[in-house]
Amino acid sequence: MIKLSGISKNYENFSLKDISLEIQKGEYLVILGPSGSGKTLLLEITASLEKPHAGTVEGVDSSKIGFIYQDLMLFPHLSVFDNIAYGLKMRGMETSKIREKVLRCSKDLNIEALLDRSVKTLSGGEKQRVAIARAIVFEPELLLIDEPTASLDQKRKSEIHRIFRKIHKKTNATVIHVTHDFNEALSVADKIAVLNNGKLVQYGYPEEIFNTPADSFVADFVGYRNVYSGRIEENCFISGNIKIYLESENMEKAYIAIKAEDTIVSLDRIDSSAKNSFEGVITDVEKKLNGYTVVVNAGFEIHCAITASSFENMELSSGMKVFITFKSSAVMVFCH
Amino acid sequence: MKNIFVVLGAVIVFFILFPLVGMFFSVSPQELFEAAFDAEVTSSIFLTLRASLWATIAAIILGLPLAWVLVRLDFKGKKLIEGIIDIPVIIPHTAAGIALLSVWGRHSFFGRTTGISIIGTEIAISVAMFFVSVPFLINSLKSGLKLIDPKYEKVACTLGATPFKAFMTVTLPMLKRHLLSGSIMMWARGISEFGAVVVLAYHPMIAPVLIYDRYESFGLSHAKPVAVLLISVCLLIFTVLRIIGERSRYD
Repeated sequence: MIKLSGISKNYENFSLKDISLEIQKGEYLVILGPSGSGKTLLLEITASLEKPHAGTVEGVDSSKIGFIYQDLMLFPHLSVFDNIAYGLKMRGMETSKIREKVLRCSKDLNIEALLDRSVKTLSGGEKQRVAIARAIVFEPELLLIDEPTASLDQKRKSEIHRIFRKIHKKTNATVIHVTHDFNEALSVADKIAVLNNGKLVQYGYPEEIFNTPADSFVADFVGYRNVYSGRIEENCFISGNIKIYLESENMEKAYIAIKAEDTIVSLDRIDSSAKNSFEGVITDVEKKLNGYTVVVNAGFEIHCAITASSFENMELSSGMKVFITFKSSAVMVFCH
Repeated sequence: MKNIFVVLGAVIVFFILFPLVGMFFSVSPQELFEAAFDAEVTSSIFLTLRASLWATIAAIILGLPLAWVLVRLDFKGKKLIEGIIDIPVIIPHTAAGIALLSVWGRHSFFGRTTGISIIGTEIAISVAMFFVSVPFLINSLKSGLKLIDPKYEKVACTLGATPFKAFMTVTLPMLKRHLLSGSIMMWARGISEFGAVVVLAYHPMIAPVLIYDRYESFGLSHAKPVAVLLISVCLLIFTVLRIIGERSRYD
């Protein structure tokens, strides 16, 4: 287990304030926060690359850390092979063993054809894979990942997420992954810690973070309010009694998210092409800047955004019976 | 405007080139040949190249850490130290020679306590060259280091390198081009030094002192072939080094 206790560090324009976290062995933790919230610094402190002004880091063997930086920082004067081999060389491994390990790792990441190339000639996605290979080839116990997909398009992002999940499953390394992208967090995280202005504002399972945000910052930042975990079978999401229609391949474990804005609240059942329609009772009403969020218990809790005028026309209040409708295409799926 | 600027620029180029070309043409091949086989001339040219090389090597060993400290660390008095390093460039070199004499001379504290005097030796020549030319190397290393993201060293450390190994295996190879060009600049500046060297060591005579000596004793016609020979040797060496440097940039 990795234990950060009371980590603080002050810089002129930002600081980390009293951060405490416990990360179980083999857990995949995503630290989610806007840029400038001190995420990278927290990683560097965990890796003992930076010293905190206060607080301690326990349970980290600094010789068994793989660190993937946002800007990758591949060594430009070395070939792809020598970049990947660097950590093994520094550990004094024999040349033949280095070769074997680099080959195996590059095969796993599908970059074995690039080994003799200069890193300057690689594409963005290729560089990403080389940086990953360099960080995992010596089988670290702790993998630290800093904003890995910031510069990639959606397709490449999903590819990299898949790679991280695969690595995590295969090596059972503990992973701390920093990002500002909540889609990314849902794609990979076992647990999420939300950081704002150098402060840890919430820490928990993805459903907790998205559905019961600790404060308005978390709620605004994470964007979604309706996140559920379960399995997907034949275009149907199943979790306990919930059954939601969507379009997706089968998955053993998945997160789904429905934006509060994508739901329709009505007093009577609507006949429409939308496949998902649930009857429920309003349990809570939240006033928002541009309308209301109505919390409905329909066997599961769902947040629905409606405009102020609709809210007033329908004279909604807690305890009322309503119908919730949304299209199956409004359900976002995150493979896990 | 373009034409005027080209013409004004050409004035500088000709200003530099004209005396040099003129001197080359005023020396007959026979005179040059004689100078090249004059043992005093060749040994003084070798001495010049060698002494400046020692100074440059010493400056690389001491200058790399200094440049790293100045670029990578933040501390009070950094600007002052950077200013100190530039002093040799702005003071008259004969004055630099006198200042060095007061530290390294026979009657200096160092000379009196150790009984050792370097005055009039090859070491004294290297010391004088080091003093006047080391800013060129340090400044080149500094501008090179500023271009290298310190994160590379951090990454190397996460991969198991000690900070020193990270510097040697990552930063230094990336600094290669600036190290080479700074060393060439320093070496060249050392070879061309006269003022500081002549105060510390008139003998053994380095080439610039020999040229001055021949001019004073025998006149222009005896000084010129030596000057042309020295310039030719320098141009040849620096052209070769430049080519090597350009290659390393593109590989």
